[in-house]
Amino acid sequence: MSTAVAPPPAATPESPPATEPAPFKPKRKRPSTGLILACTFLFVLVFLAVFADYLGFIRYPDEKVLVDGKAGRYKLGPGWEAWFGTDGLSHDVFASCIYGARVTLQIGLFATAFGIIVGGFLGVLAGYFRKTTDRVVSIITDCLLAMPALLLAMILVSRLDDVRNDVTWLDWFSRKWQLVFTLGLLAVAPLARIVRAQTMSLREREFVLAARSLGAKPGRVILREIMPNLIPAILTVAFTGLSIIIAAEGALAFLGLGVEIGTPTWGKLINDNRNQIDVAWWATFFPCLMLFLTVVSFNVIGDRLSRRFDIRQAGV
Amino acid sequence: MRYFLQRLLQFSIVFFIVTFAVMILMRLGLNAPGDPARTLLGGTADQELIDETTAKYRLDSNLFVQYFFWLKGMLTGDMGYSVPNSISVAAYIQARAMTTILLGLYATVFAVLISVPLAVHQAYKRDSMFDKVGSGLSFVFVSVPAIVLAPILTIVLINESEISFGDYVLTIGGWFPRVGDKIYPWQDLGAHIENFFVPTLVLTLPLAAIYTRLLRGDMVQTLQADFVTLASAKGVSPRRVLWVHALRNSLFSFVTSIGTQLGAIVGGAIVVEQFFDLDGMGSMLVGAILSKDLFTVQSTAAILVACVVVVNLIVDLMYAVIDPRIRHMRALA
Amino acid sequence: MSTRIQASTRDLEGPLLELTDVSTHFRTPRGLVRAVDGVSFTLERGKALGIVGESGSGKTILSRSIMGLLPPRGTVRGGSIKFEGREIGNLDRKAMRGVWGKEMAMIFQDPMTSLNPVMKIGKQIAEPLQIHLGMNKQLAWATAERLLQDVRIPEAKRRLDQYPHEMSGGMRQRVMIAIALACGPTALFADEPTTALDVTVQAQILDLLGEQRRDRNMSLILVTHDLGVVAGHTDEIAVMYGGKLVEKASTKGLFANMKMPYTEALLQSIPKLDDPSHTRLNAIAGRPPDLVNPPKGCRFAPRCPYASDKCINEEPPLVPTAEDPNHLYACWYPVGSTEYHEAKRRLAEPTDGLATATAAL
Repeated sequence: MSTAVAPPPAATPESPPATEPAPFKPKRKRPSTGLILACTFLFVLVFLAVFADYLGFIRYPDEKVLVDGKAGRYKLGPGWEAWFGTDGLSHDVFASCIYGARVTLQIGLFATAFGIIVGGFLGVLAGYFRKTTDRVVSIITDCLLAMPALLLAMILVSRLDDVRNDVTWLDWFSRKWQLVFTLGLLAVAPLARIVRAQTMSLREREFVLAARSLGAKPGRVILREIMPNLIPAILTVAFTGLSIIIAAEGALAFLGLGVEIGTPTWGKLINDNRNQIDVAWWATFFPCLMLFLTVVSFNVIGDRLSRRFDIRQAGV
Repeated sequence: MRYFLQRLLQFSIVFFIVTFAVMILMRLGLNAPGDPARTLLGGTADQELIDETTAKYRLDSNLFVQYFFWLKGMLTGDMGYSVPNSISVAAYIQARAMTTILLGLYATVFAVLISVPLAVHQAYKRDSMFDKVGSGLSFVFVSVPAIVLAPILTIVLINESEISFGDYVLTIGGWFPRVGDKIYPWQDLGAHIENFFVPTLVLTLPLAAIYTRLLRGDMVQTLQADFVTLASAKGVSPRRVLWVHALRNSLFSFVTSIGTQLGAIVGGAIVVEQFFDLDGMGSMLVGAILSKDLFTVQSTAAILVACVVVVNLIVDLMYAVIDPRIRHMRALA
Repeated sequence: MSTRIQASTRDLEGPLLELTDVSTHFRTPRGLVRAVDGVSFTLERGKALGIVGESGSGKTILSRSIMGLLPPRGTVRGGSIKFEGREIGNLDRKAMRGVWGKEMAMIFQDPMTSLNPVMKIGKQIAEPLQIHLGMNKQLAWATAERLLQDVRIPEAKRRLDQYPHEMSGGMRQRVMIAIALACGPTALFADEPTTALDVTVQAQILDLLGEQRRDRNMSLILVTHDLGVVAGHTDEIAVMYGGKLVEKASTKGLFANMKMPYTEALLQSIPKLDDPSHTRLNAIAGRPPDLVNPPKGCRFAPRCPYASDKCINEEPPLVPTAEDPNHLYACWYPVGSTEYHEAKRRLAEPTDGLATATAAL
């Protein structure tokens, strides 16, 4: 190479000439059919659950369905009389499913909120301060993940009633709140992990460095600069987490660790009716279906968000 | 080696913290002296027996001492006594463990066998009909908890149902027994398969779906790499490009998830054993937790946590086997 | 279609590579992208051809089209590609596999990403030897060691057992060359082989390529954006713009007498050592054309300082120059023509509206 040539910029793009066709804009992504279906299902479910008491076509959960004047135990299959059939207590399975949604969705939402607050807090601390804080938090998350989730949940829920009986000021801590606490605890580790990773990368970004170099205190940097940018990641994990929590709640109820007797939940309905599954499949099938559709719907939204915000969540 | 020792130490710490935490949790609400022993022995035990048991397991000393003696017992094979079942915990676990081990093993092995070819082929034929159907199915099965899949597979595969299309009546199901019997393969292979097929399927499908999604995603990325094109340009057959060049570079998330999914398998096994009345460690745990069978819960939990920890340690070593760059980095650390 | 190409059908006379009206289009949501559009040329055995153009000019796609390395889905190929007298333009990947690595080999741009990170160097070099030449493992590894020596890698034996991450970029590019040379191909495609390397290493790699080409009587197709790279290392140069061949000549002929204003602009965009300091680099204004709706006339017209109405409306054909029948160009007003000088003079004048108007009066 005689002329010693450095790799030149062959052409620097400058303002395009007027004759050039307009630059290509990708078509706005239409929301997929799956997303629309998922949102519709959840919306209808929430609507029915909230207004179940006022909607005429939904029976009360403890109302017995009569067939020829007698209690219709497992008599009615899915049909016009009772949409999802009747169960072993002659209750309308559809009504039970709707009232079950109430409990499940409430527990799911509160537990997720608990997980976000605790997990997010730990994650931000670990990611921002690193060093010892990071090590302590990572031991906490490692411990939470080393224990099979359902096992931890079973042990906790089974013991918390005893604690409540012992401690007078914990009177409000009913089974429902015990479940919220337990399931929320399960969501802490994955949330803390993803928030930690995001905080670590945000911490080195220019706008955060700028704020820090101006002498902003850690609290202010975290609150004003980092937190707002964590929302997409948290939201994404929250939806996926919600689906896992709802499934876990179903499993706990199935194992006899659900909310108080008398309140129907999907897991409990499955457990109560599974022994008659060959006679009255509907009493087990429809709670399963509701649980499945809810979990899928939250997953669809979570999946959509993770693609939108480009967040990978292999470990969750 | 230093790296390995570091990880070993880290995982041991986790093991001790978690097992200690389980012990504390199991003691919650048992504050009065003699309470733990009374719980262990059941309501009808007389004071003498309670005192004796308390002394034997040092249930009146502080928690650290109790933990120490429990751990010592664990290591020497004395895991305590399960009063509700009138059997030593060690023997109890021994009687139940095989079912759960088989279920977990089958689920993992079958899930890997299903997911790897599926994911590789999906990534290779990306966006084809095959890929779309595969992705859709794996998405659905990721979202199916065991508690949903178990009843549905029961309805489809175990219940005999007749579906009539006009005159034609199609009979499906009735292929498997409803109540699972603990029959091991070395006793009667046919009966074993009949009894374990549906429970295994319940555990396998969601697991395979998760593996497939992770592996497909990584594989798609790897297939866009230059070195994959180079391998083709060398004249390497597509099969070899996929299985030798691309696969090994795409295993990271997949191998990680084998470790992280172990907890989920245990959770699934608990539900499945309960649902199909299979006597394994899962159903044993449910019973023990509900009846406050302290030592059974503590010891079983410890064994499960140890499994999780060991598998994760193996996974950690696997990274180095798969990727020389990680080996290199660890050698420097 | 799926029959492998037999060695007996190879035509050992005549040109190595003969392209007639080759086009490669991609189906995209926006429409058909005409990445390569009607390119024809021939390449003799043992010669080195430089394909030059900006990014987006279709040079990389052209080289991959010749090799048949493009993803089959969404790609529309047209025209005829004859390699040693056999038509390979319409062969699928399966049929091409016998050619890849054995008769045609390729070197990629980025040595950091082009080697398999989890496979030993030795295995990566030995692989094509085992596949195409049926060598056993021992022989293949011994040959690999010799190849590493050929590409001037010290301690070749030890290197065979190393992984790519243990080597520098220049070293990896040498390994790439060793892989490409392994089966003694008759044509070697090098796609920007030096762009990702340090300047000092660039010259070494180019010299190595030239030397190996002469030793092995192999044709080299050097794809680059840098006229400086091809100047000392090729026999012929093909300049591409907007998916079309716009000028082709022997290297000497081109630098002595370039016809396309685009070629001229490319040359001016390279800094030279003998330029006085603070000389302005002449970047080419504007952007490469949109290949879904290419300009109607000359594709360079929108960016060409000398363009006239004719350039914008009529596409210039590829014609030989008066002096040299092998020097082809596609331009209505080539460098050196009267119109070119007029336009150049116009550009040189101050763009003072009044002055221009007065002069015209």
